[in-house]
Amino acid sequence: MAEIPLVADVREERGSRASRRLLHSGRIPGVVYGHGLAPVAVAMDARSLRSALSTDAGVNALLDLDIAGAHHLAIARELQRHPVRQTVLHVDFQVVRRDEVVTADVAVNLVGEPLGVTRAGGTVEHLVLSVPIKAKPADIPTQLEYDVSELTIGDTVHLRDLVLPSGVTVEADLETAVVVAHPPKGLVEEEAEAEAAPGEAAPES
Amino acid sequence: MLMPRKVKHRKQHRGRLTGAAKGGQTVDFGDYGIQALEPGWITARQIEAARIAMTRYVRRGGKVWIRVFPDKPVTEKPAETRMGSGKGNPERWVAVVRPGRILFELAGVDEQLARGAMERAIQKLPIKARFVVRPGVGSESEVQVQ
Repeated sequence: MAEIPLVADVREERGSRASRRLLHSGRIPGVVYGHGLAPVAVAMDARSLRSALSTDAGVNALLDLDIAGAHHLAIARELQRHPVRQTVLHVDFQVVRRDEVVTADVAVNLVGEPLGVTRAGGTVEHLVLSVPIKAKPADIPTQLEYDVSELTIGDTVHLRDLVLPSGVTVEADLETAVVVAHPPKGLVEEEAEAEAAPGEAAPES
Repeated sequence: MLMPRKVKHRKQHRGRLTGAAKGGQTVDFGDYGIQALEPGWITARQIEAARIAMTRYVRRGGKVWIRVFPDKPVTEKPAETRMGSGKGNPERWVAVVRPGRILFELAGVDEQLARGAMERAIQKLPIKARFVVRPGVGSESEVQVQ
């Protein structure tokens, strides 16, 4: 995976007031840290940040960060967003090495139509929306996909069922349920009543 | 209707409604959500009315999450009472909502049905709110910066 170039300037002014002035002028404040590098406050053009993080690689894209002429390999660690507008207010970059394994959160997306469940009136519940993974920066996948078209009522998909690209390991309990296909609500109540009935009858006899 | 099982103090001060939501700003459980765009108090009755509007429109399937809880008591003095003689009686429970807060979430239905259900639920709320989709569910995947 080729790194995406992003130019950033060293930011002299600190604090919320200076950051607000930067945001109004179309620039995003951020910080760069990692690998013994003293944290550097930076600022970058909002539009170039958007184009860098909106590629096929997503927000875990490998970036070639140019800070006043010095090049660093980095990934975006945290994006702070405005609660209503959802615009980026601040971004953290972590300097990484190409041969070093890093952790990242990757989205789990369901593909396909679970007709076996929906036609029977059941629902598919997506429990785990993103998974922490460990991989080399260039191997971080954009998303993990799972095809739910073969799912039937009562099925549970665990983390171990997800197909991972080579060089990627999941940093969570593999028995964690990711997707559950629930029966229709009425069916559960009927079953519960049927199970409860013999138990209630027992003390009377 | 939603209300606390027990409380430490029966009556509270009104407080101030400034700033944006500090948490609960993202759709975390379902695929679609209702996001508050204004600050306000949402009563337990309004939360229940919105939930009923949503579940009736969806009819079958789908799962609803209520992301706010009415844990603040609101007092009222009886009609035609002279001022003084202490604070009034607790009359209802409200959830304090600031802009950005996700109020409800929905999963297990397609976007069109979810939008219809949530637009009906928004009609039951005393504040402006909007329908939002969790990133990765719809077609929107671009990082918004401005």
